Amino acid sequence: MTETTRSVEIHVPVLARVEGEGALDLVIENGNITRLRLRIFEPPRFFEKFLEGHHYSEIPDLVARICGICPVAYQVTAAQALEQLYGVELTPWARALRRALYCGEWLQSHSLHVHLLAAPDYFGCNSAIELAQIAPDVVRRGLRLQALGNELMDLIGTRSVHPVGVRVGGFHAAPPVARVRELRVRLLTALSEAEALVRWAAAIPLPPDEQAFVSVAMRHAHDYAIEAGDIAASDGLQIGADAYDAHFAERHEPHSTALYSSYRGQPYLVGPLARLNLNHDRLPSQLCSLLVETGFALPSRNVFHSLVARAVEIWLALDEAARLLADYTLPDAPWVPVEPRAGVATGCTEAPRGLLWHRYQMDADGRVVNARIVPPTSQNQARIEADLQQSLLAFGLDRPDEALRLHCEKVIRNYDPCISCATHFLRLNVERT
Amino acid sequence: MTRLRILGIGSPSGDDQAGWWVIDALEDMGFSNRHGIELDRLDRPGAVLVSRLEHAAWVVLVDAMASGAIPGTIRHFDRTDWRGYDGGLSSHGLGVFAALELAEAMGSLPPRLDLYGIEIGAAGHSSGITPAVREAARALAIRLAGPIR
Repeated sequence: MTETTRSVEIHVPVLARVEGEGALDLVIENGNITRLRLRIFEPPRFFEKFLEGHHYSEIPDLVARICGICPVAYQVTAAQALEQLYGVELTPWARALRRALYCGEWLQSHSLHVHLLAAPDYFGCNSAIELAQIAPDVVRRGLRLQALGNELMDLIGTRSVHPVGVRVGGFHAAPPVARVRELRVRLLTALSEAEALVRWAAAIPLPPDEQAFVSVAMRHAHDYAIEAGDIAASDGLQIGADAYDAHFAERHEPHSTALYSSYRGQPYLVGPLARLNLNHDRLPSQLCSLLVETGFALPSRNVFHSLVARAVEIWLALDEAARLLADYTLPDAPWVPVEPRAGVATGCTEAPRGLLWHRYQMDADGRVVNARIVPPTSQNQARIEADLQQSLLAFGLDRPDEALRLHCEKVIRNYDPCISCATHFLRLNVERT
Repeated sequence: MTRLRILGIGSPSGDDQAGWWVIDALEDMGFSNRHGIELDRLDRPGAVLVSRLEHAAWVVLVDAMASGAIPGTIRHFDRTDWRGYDGGLSSHGLGVFAALELAEAMGSLPPRLDLYGIEIGAAGHSSGITPAVREAARALAIRLAGPIR
């Protein structure tokens, strides 16, 4: 056993290959970690405050602007919450299209993260450009899959960046049948590429790093939960979205503009690995067979398996979107009428990075009185810090500073943090004399 | 193999549509997707741009730029202008130069590549259109039309 007695201070002033502005401070004194802080200093964006007074019909498009990578997650969650409050039952056509749209977002977000942000860490590369030099076909395949996700979002949401197709009650318009059929053929064709991706990801020698943590993700009666379902935890919890506050808490920490979330006072994991840990029994049999072949066993306690989990969900998203669009026809109407009423709307969906929860207090005219949005990255923030503590001890604190820094960055990037989403409304106290 | 692919890059915000206006102007002149020529408008493509550089002998990219020049200024960039990008890819931050670097690393650059920037004015959500930028887009379309007629 190595005796570690040195003192080290490592500061990563700006984290690369994550979305948004964050930093890490690590202090090791006499072989012990005495300070470890994932600092999120991106300025708060006050989105929840902006929403106050806005009409329900504007909310899906407003909240989509919170994130350029997962706008669908925000708009679908908002629409779902408001539809539940207003007693709106989506048509089967709209339900299928919502889920297919969401598949497009998973596809593009996961493909981007796997190939351009996370994978370079496991091949000794400093950037995606270096990875592209040594594995051009892998990156090219990833970009093709990402492009398919963008096309799916463009088809259903009318554009791939900040789509505008979703409305409370359904969609503003129906995509043309010919375009749906043409894209569906390409989704099916791409399944072989996704299969190769899963095999490639499962073969990457990821660091062995077993940790104890609670997984939190949605769970549906028969589907792999994406846009519908209860909130579940690996300790047996299963609740509706409206009970979230009774089990989960948020708090401020001085070093972060993102809120920290806890479940029963402890950090927890959300995201693709948490989803697979809770829902692997909902995967299609073909995908289960593929996982058996690759030796990827679930549930997993190694968060580095998140990269493999994303690859698995890419296959799932392709397959699911193709299934949902199989018998696509134009509907009588793409939306159903909505009658606003006063009350509290809560909803949740599985954003690419994990559970996304919304709560809106609405007045009788359909305007927002107040809003709360809990994004996945703020839920993962405490877990990232806990992971870093454990992972660094397993990695060895006696390693050179540069190796420690790289390992910390690898741990953080593995969560695919979206810091811009996570920055939150800060309480502002003004004293006037 | 496509002989020439002209890609207008932009977004729906104000003058950021400059690249799209070049495609509009070419279509107004009678050009369309035939005879080995492809015209397309890309909405903030990020890394997807890489795949749009493949299977073409010549690709022309037109994007809005904000360099401090007078709105409507047209600039041609060659490879010395975009080489040297040194990492730091974020999920939102993959711009045109970074995508070109990525394409080069994979050997996906076309035999001939031209990148034009059109200096823009405002590109906010409800920004109006700067007449000089619209005119520059037409002028660039006329310049591009010459060799492809």
